[in-house]
Amino acid sequence: MNDKYSIHAQNLHAGYGTIEIVKSVSCTFAPGTFTGIIGPNGSGKTTLLRTFSRVIPASGILLLDGKPVSDYTPAELGMALGFVPQDEGRPFPYTVMQVVLMARYARTSRFAALVPEDYARCHRALAETGVSHLADRSIRTLSGGEWQRVLIARSLAQDTKVLLLDEPTSHLDLSHQSDILTLMRRLAGSGSTIIGVFHDLNLAALYCDRLIMIQHGELVADGTPAQVLTPKKIREVYGADVVTSCHPATGRTFLMPIKTANGTNSAGKPLNVQVISGGGSGSDLLHFLSGKCLSLSLGILATTDTDYLTAQALDIPCVPVLPFSPIPAHALEKFKRMLSRADRIILSVHPVGTGNLPVIGALSEVDPARIIIHLPEGRDFSSYDYAKGAAAAAFENLCATGAQCTTSYDGILQHLYPVAPETHE
Amino acid sequence: MTRTLPLTIVMIAAAVLTIVLCTFTGPAGFGIPSAGQGAADIVGGIRLPRVLAAFFVGASLAVAGAAMQALFKNPMADPYILGTSSGGALGASLAIVFLGGFFVPIFAWIGAVVAILIVWSIAGRRGVISVETLLLTGIAVSFFFSAIVSFLIAIAGQNVHQIIFWLMGGFWNASPSDAILSACILVPAGALLFFMGRDLNALSLGEETAAHLGIDATRARWAVLGGSTLLVAGAVSIAGCIGFIGLVTPHIVRMLMGPDNRVVIPACILAGGMLLVISDTLARTFFSDLPVGIITAFIGAPFFIWLIHQRGMAT
Repeated sequence: MNDKYSIHAQNLHAGYGTIEIVKSVSCTFAPGTFTGIIGPNGSGKTTLLRTFSRVIPASGILLLDGKPVSDYTPAELGMALGFVPQDEGRPFPYTVMQVVLMARYARTSRFAALVPEDYARCHRALAETGVSHLADRSIRTLSGGEWQRVLIARSLAQDTKVLLLDEPTSHLDLSHQSDILTLMRRLAGSGSTIIGVFHDLNLAALYCDRLIMIQHGELVADGTPAQVLTPKKIREVYGADVVTSCHPATGRTFLMPIKTANGTNSAGKPLNVQVISGGGSGSDLLHFLSGKCLSLSLGILATTDTDYLTAQALDIPCVPVLPFSPIPAHALEKFKRMLSRADRIILSVHPVGTGNLPVIGALSEVDPARIIIHLPEGRDFSSYDYAKGAAAAAFENLCATGAQCTTSYDGILQHLYPVAPETHE
Repeated sequence: MTRTLPLTIVMIAAAVLTIVLCTFTGPAGFGIPSAGQGAADIVGGIRLPRVLAAFFVGASLAVAGAAMQALFKNPMADPYILGTSSGGALGASLAIVFLGGFFVPIFAWIGAVVAILIVWSIAGRRGVISVETLLLTGIAVSFFFSAIVSFLIAIAGQNVHQIIFWLMGGFWNASPSDAILSACILVPAGALLFFMGRDLNALSLGEETAAHLGIDATRARWAVLGGSTLLVAGAVSIAGCIGFIGLVTPHIVRMLMGPDNRVVIPACILAGGMLLVISDTLARTFFSDLPVGIITAFIGAPFFIWLIHQRGMAT
């Protein structure tokens, strides 16, 4: 019944001695797929991979091609499943070819010699990973990246339907990373089952059809890269803040780390910065500020506003309201409470009409010294006024009463950190 | 690859030549001693068994060394350094003191097995065995076993000479039965390790790697441990502790023929045999029958230091 899966794991537990590393993992891997296993350091990714390859004893059900792995003889397993370790000790000066030929041991009797087909297969494997020119070199003289490609070549020469890779690109430069992962995609395309452990989430998202996220030995997410790599999930599992977007060139989920809040105010907490923007005026500024060790919040935003979408992507709190309708009183109250908590308020000047004029009005109630007004270079307040002069007057009034005005992002930073310019990044 | 066949032929010829030449070499110079029947007895009844025993013991130690180096993923491993020889010596001493010299080979084997299991369980626990851990553990086990042997010497009384003989390592009174015994151990254990050549190759990259390549790694490990300790025990029970043959020979062989154990193992049989026969001939011809263990240590210890130096240069 499970024949359609190459690997079928159910309620898998495994570990070293009394320490359980893999806890109750259930998942299946179908032929023709390239799956990435991701998770923070020490989460059990590699252990899970080694459990699949039977080098770590496990309890639970583990089927390989519909048959329990425990029923495989060592040689059968060597023909069914290949494993690429992250690194491997090289105490003896074997030639590259000698090491790759070991892939054919499982298929040959110990009393027989390897046949020309074995040599041909190994030469092909060396060519596939781009290390043909190293065939006669001693493995002790190879660089880390060359050795990693030799190890991949060896597992290719095993001619197995399932291939497990433990961080297959950890020692590779950019072009070899893409060569090897493209090769893996091609193998998956021709029906192999490829499972790889990845540290680099963007590489995993770019090449894998599916990602499995592991935390503390448990499976916490399973799906397409876009489903698994959400800022929320990454923060829960990795404790890191990221922004995600769809890469314009590849169309795949793309992820960018941003510095978590660690700038401080006088109370030793991250500086609390309230950004007031609208109509997309704040998006660029928010991306700029998101890497600057600040605890950011946004003001009242209609759910159709570009700034609202940016707030979602960067996971910055704001007060969402319905578009094209007056601001409800409770939203305004909430906004005023946020204003009172803010150490600094950045007003990114944006179009203001009668609908959102109360937002600017609310600013007249706070200490103008805490306010920084950002007016793009070469523009004036009146060009943003859609409230018959009331908005421009409100802006002018803030400037007159002591709010800092600037036309550049650097100017904003200088006002945010008046005594510590070295904090600039 | 292309060098293997001619080198093998050269080595077989050299081994036969070494055995013949050394049989006819003695303190009286080279050649068949002139004095009739007594001379024939010396050559056939004393020298030939001694040369053959030395050859088989040297081959056993070299093969055991090569197998242990592969198993421990470490070219510094050697039956002497890993404490296997002192384990064997302890077993032999126990048999001499308490059983009046019976079952010496069996006790030597048990001692060798116990020693290597101790080293394995201490140094090899986390899968990766560092050179430092391995050597230190081997030395610690060696010292511990040597201390017990010293204790046995202290209480041995009349058997003390026999024990000291084991410790020095030599072939003074090698008999035809010694030659036969060592051959009886070398042939099956050597054949076992020869046919496990590719298992040794895979194991030398790590037990997990071997398993991933389709090798029954656990079974191979026990077979290699069993075979190599058997060889060491046989060697120790015949000739006592002879160091460095197991370390030096595989290195020379790898330099000449590469690290493939399917070649290294048979080549070690020939090269290890030759090395010990030549060392023993030197000992009895020029140094008035000095224990051969002293000669091998004189050659082997500087070689070992040179190896450490080379490794230091490489990293």
